[in-house]
Amino acid sequence: MALPTHISAPSANSTSRVPVYALVGNPNCGKSTLFNALTGLKQKVGNYPGVTVEKKVGTTYSQHGQPITVIDLPGAYSLAARSPDEAVTRDVLLGRRSDTAQPDRILCIVDATNLERNLYLVHQILDLGRPVILVLNMMDLAAQAGLRLRLNRLEHELGIPVIACEAANGKGIIELRLAMSRTDLPLSRHAWNVPAPIASAVTELQASLIAHDRKAPLIARAEALLLLTDQDSVRVAGSTPLDPRTAEILRGWEKRWEGEGTDWAGTLVNSRYEAIGRLAAEVVLPSATTGPTTSDRIDAVVTHPVWGWLVLGLVMLLLFLSIFTLAEYPMNWIDGRVAALANWVKAGMAPGDLRDLITDGAIAGVGGVLIFLPQILILFFFIGLLESTGYMARAAFIMDRLMSRVGLNGKSFIPLLSSYACAIPGIMATRTIEDPKDRLVTILVAPLMSCSARLPVYLLMIAALVPGDRVPLLTKVGIMLLMYALGTVGAFGFAWLFKRTLLKGAPPLMIMELPPYRLPLFRDVALHMVERAGLFLRRAGTVILGISIVLWFLAAYPKAPADATPTQQLAQSFAGRAGHLLEPVIRPLGFDWQIGIGLITSFAAREVFVSTMGVVFNAESSDNDTKPLRQAMLAARWPDGRMLFTPLTCITLMIFYVFAMQCMSTIAVVKRETNGWKWPVFQTVYMTGTAWVLSLIVYQAGRGLGF
Amino acid sequence: MNAEIQTLGALIVVAVAATWLVLRALAKRKNPGCGGDCGCPTDELKAKLKR
Repeated sequence: MALPTHISAPSANSTSRVPVYALVGNPNCGKSTLFNALTGLKQKVGNYPGVTVEKKVGTTYSQHGQPITVIDLPGAYSLAARSPDEAVTRDVLLGRRSDTAQPDRILCIVDATNLERNLYLVHQILDLGRPVILVLNMMDLAAQAGLRLRLNRLEHELGIPVIACEAANGKGIIELRLAMSRTDLPLSRHAWNVPAPIASAVTELQASLIAHDRKAPLIARAEALLLLTDQDSVRVAGSTPLDPRTAEILRGWEKRWEGEGTDWAGTLVNSRYEAIGRLAAEVVLPSATTGPTTSDRIDAVVTHPVWGWLVLGLVMLLLFLSIFTLAEYPMNWIDGRVAALANWVKAGMAPGDLRDLITDGAIAGVGGVLIFLPQILILFFFIGLLESTGYMARAAFIMDRLMSRVGLNGKSFIPLLSSYACAIPGIMATRTIEDPKDRLVTILVAPLMSCSARLPVYLLMIAALVPGDRVPLLTKVGIMLLMYALGTVGAFGFAWLFKRTLLKGAPPLMIMELPPYRLPLFRDVALHMVERAGLFLRRAGTVILGISIVLWFLAAYPKAPADATPTQQLAQSFAGRAGHLLEPVIRPLGFDWQIGIGLITSFAAREVFVSTMGVVFNAESSDNDTKPLRQAMLAARWPDGRMLFTPLTCITLMIFYVFAMQCMSTIAVVKRETNGWKWPVFQTVYMTGTAWVLSLIVYQAGRGLGF
Repeated sequence: MNAEIQTLGALIVVAVAATWLVLRALAKRKNPGCGGDCGCPTDELKAKLKR
């Protein structure tokens, strides 16, 4: 049966709709950087694989100002998807996603320093029969590595436009826009000959896919080839089930080949690699330079089994030292301004509920969180810097030795690392993990990594409550490092436990590409910081403000008799009653009912604990002068006159926050990623249970030792 | 502003804030929780995709 192997290229102006380009390539070849350069958007980029796990859409403009839609897809090494993020790419390209129109054209981006390896995906994409523009990114790094690429030859061999590009420096973008503006983009004339023993099966499957599965001819051919190399790729969630007649044809061929002893999948893959090898030999001239590159020389130290850990330790130490030292002045400034604003309102308004709501609710609650903005910005500056340079991938490499011992997949490192910022992107980043059990284990332990929402709690406990003049800076840094280490060790410990009990599985194998070192892209780092600051401020101005206002009401009502002290008023308020209800459970941990109020409200988000303390302790303050939160908390006492926030209580509280699952948003995302309530409920119970038990041990042991 | 008016004003603000928080919590969102930070598609993006 003769079937078409080519169709005419859809013309961009043949219809009135906006042309859609899909941006695809191997992980870490610069897709998101190119996407940002084309669209002017600010998607997160990083010099490590797996930054993009969902498709993202932006608009760019042709040379004549016509809009062009660009879809940035997660990185993939092949269309035979092995992980959920690669499945997104495959399904969009094959037109399987009901929420996404099939792209008209494809921008295939490759890392010029690794052309041959990247060509496998290019080869599969050319099978789709869509107009393709090939973008050779990182040409500067290829030149530095001494690689000489014959672009004209590549263009001639493939028959499609090939654009040299340095997306990070904005070079080649104009040429790319011009190519994207073309209405007459050619289809590849590169013919890949399917090996003879397989060709008949491909044709038969293609015919059935066209007839019974309603696939377009060339998509049907690509699907047929995929069916023969990776059947699971067609049966994953989101795909339409294969028509029984097509499935029957497939089973028939498989049975026949099994009888003949033919390795059909291997034959297909090898045939592709042979074609790619021939093409690469034509295009890539041997490197003029020999010997180790600069990246190799740096890697000899930073990935060394001993020095690597030392470098990682120094980097972490530098990060936390910066958080404490550099942020001190802006933090004090914000703290002072918040107190001044509250005092200004108090001076300008007559006493009353509205004044109290503004000063003790809104300003104390939002201001209490706002003062930690400088530290959060410093944290993200360092994370951005480390991502941009390529050091993060090295950190993943040295951590992999440790992670493999506890049974964690090496690919878990990036999700766990992302969880230091926020568990939500971390949990989403687990989509890069192929094995479902490994993925689930990573999801279960990711929230144990200390996220940025815990930072205000830690800082409040360390910097504010441990009097600064009595404690050396390095001790504060040490306590902070200890909390981060505790979360990390906890994550590894529970991963080890889960892999040996609930989610037993074979030891994982990791293959990770180490990207070349690059000078940090300060623009991207700054953009990331601005985004985080915006997010933090938006959260402070919306959810935290709302909760602070409601909390003020709960702390101020019902009203006590006029002669009651502020403490009596708070104790008999709604919030006070809730705190008292919780107190029997948390009293063995050294927490009273006021801290209990914070534990309840911070279930919405951990940093709400700080704003709650702001509301609770300012509501208790009887004078007209709003004190900084740390002073108000230092003055807090148990009924017998003992200090409430002793160093032991602060440490216990921090340990509680290291382990407790105090984040509704994370629970919601875990529910979505695991398709049910079973795992989020389990996660909440095991984490909060662990937090309670460990806090109890630490507090009671500390008391026993006389602290 | 006398105390009664202040109390009324404060209670209105509290009611608005509480209503907003409840509506926000009950609102059905396909990609909850991330505040748009994790790279998930926004409503605007999804509308664009559904052509």
